[in-house]
Amino acid sequence: MAGGANPQQTVMPGGANPYQQAAGAQTAALGRVGQGMYQTAVPGMQAYANPYESQVVQQSLRDVGSAAQMGLNQLGAQASAAGAFGGSRHGIAQAEAMKGFSQQAMDQAARLRAQGFNTALGASQADLGRQLGAAGQMAGLGQQSFGYGQAIQNQQMQQGAMQQQAMQNLINAAKGQYAGYTGAPMQGLAAMQGGAAGLANTYGQTTSMNPGLFNYLQLGANTAAAFAKPPGTP
Amino acid sequence: MAKGGSQSQEKTAPAFAETGLQQQLGLARDVSALGYTPYYGPDVASFSPLQQAAFQGTDQMAGAFGMPVAQGEYMPAPTTFAGGVQGYSSAPLFMESKGALQQNAPGLYNYLEGFSVDPMTGKPGAQTASQQPVVLEMQKPSSGGK
Repeated sequence: MAGGANPQQTVMPGGANPYQQAAGAQTAALGRVGQGMYQTAVPGMQAYANPYESQVVQQSLRDVGSAAQMGLNQLGAQASAAGAFGGSRHGIAQAEAMKGFSQQAMDQAARLRAQGFNTALGASQADLGRQLGAAGQMAGLGQQSFGYGQAIQNQQMQQGAMQQQAMQNLINAAKGQYAGYTGAPMQGLAAMQGGAAGLANTYGQTTSMNPGLFNYLQLGANTAAAFAKPPGTP
Repeated sequence: MAKGGSQSQEKTAPAFAETGLQQQLGLARDVSALGYTPYYGPDVASFSPLQQAAFQGTDQMAGAFGMPVAQGEYMPAPTTFAGGVQGYSSAPLFMESKGALQQNAPGLYNYLEGFSVDPMTGKPGAQTASQQPVVLEMQKPSSGGK
């Protein structure tokens, strides 16, 4: 298994609020993705190495060795039958056979070990990919939790604002009533002023004259002068 | 009989007009002494529990990501008025400012107070219309002529 933080180990436990979930998921995803940027599959291969690989290889080598022994025995028998056992030709034939057997043993061992390496490499790479994918999914889920939190919070804010506005309307209505109450005298005065607007038209002015002695004398003089004038003079 | 006679002018008005005019002036005089009538009720509604929950949500959001959160309550505790209405009144601030004026400028404060009735006793202040000195100088009938 590839090494690194397991996202499941860093997520907040169930019951946490959406923001804690989001923060936990984000932290886990960031950590895993950041780690994955510089990570290869090599460290995780050991976990997938076949613990019996050496035994398998050894067994395979023993099988090849047994086959080689049988081949050498058969070669010896053939050389004996031909009266050439121990001769130079027998020696050459043995060397060639051993060469073949050795090559076969090495090929077999290499094939087994390459197979084990590739299997471990593939499994480790698959682990890496799966973990990075899970980290990405974790980030998405964190974003989703964050969205849940915000949606709930916005809903609370909107409904709360409606309630507050209703309360404010009530207060404003009470203030309006109070203003009406305290302003009633001024309203009454204004009404009276409106009603009295036409009073000025009812005012009158009387001028009276009490004539004195000089007034009468002047009147008499004016009258006499009028009679003294010849006709036709203005 | 005067030697030069005399001329007199008399302003007249119907009784209802004179009554109305005098009542109007009297009412105006009384109203002008009212002064300012404070309001001690709520002015602003407090935040609702849902809004406060939303505020806490913001704190939780910030806290979850390691950001600073609000320390303590910023708004003062609301007052509960009649009918369970919760809100804030500007009356305490008004009273505080009035007290500060009285303390820092007592002369101005007292002069200002004199324009209205005493809110406790109802007696007219020194500067109200009813307390203004009046000297009647135009009540003699005008006369003229020779």
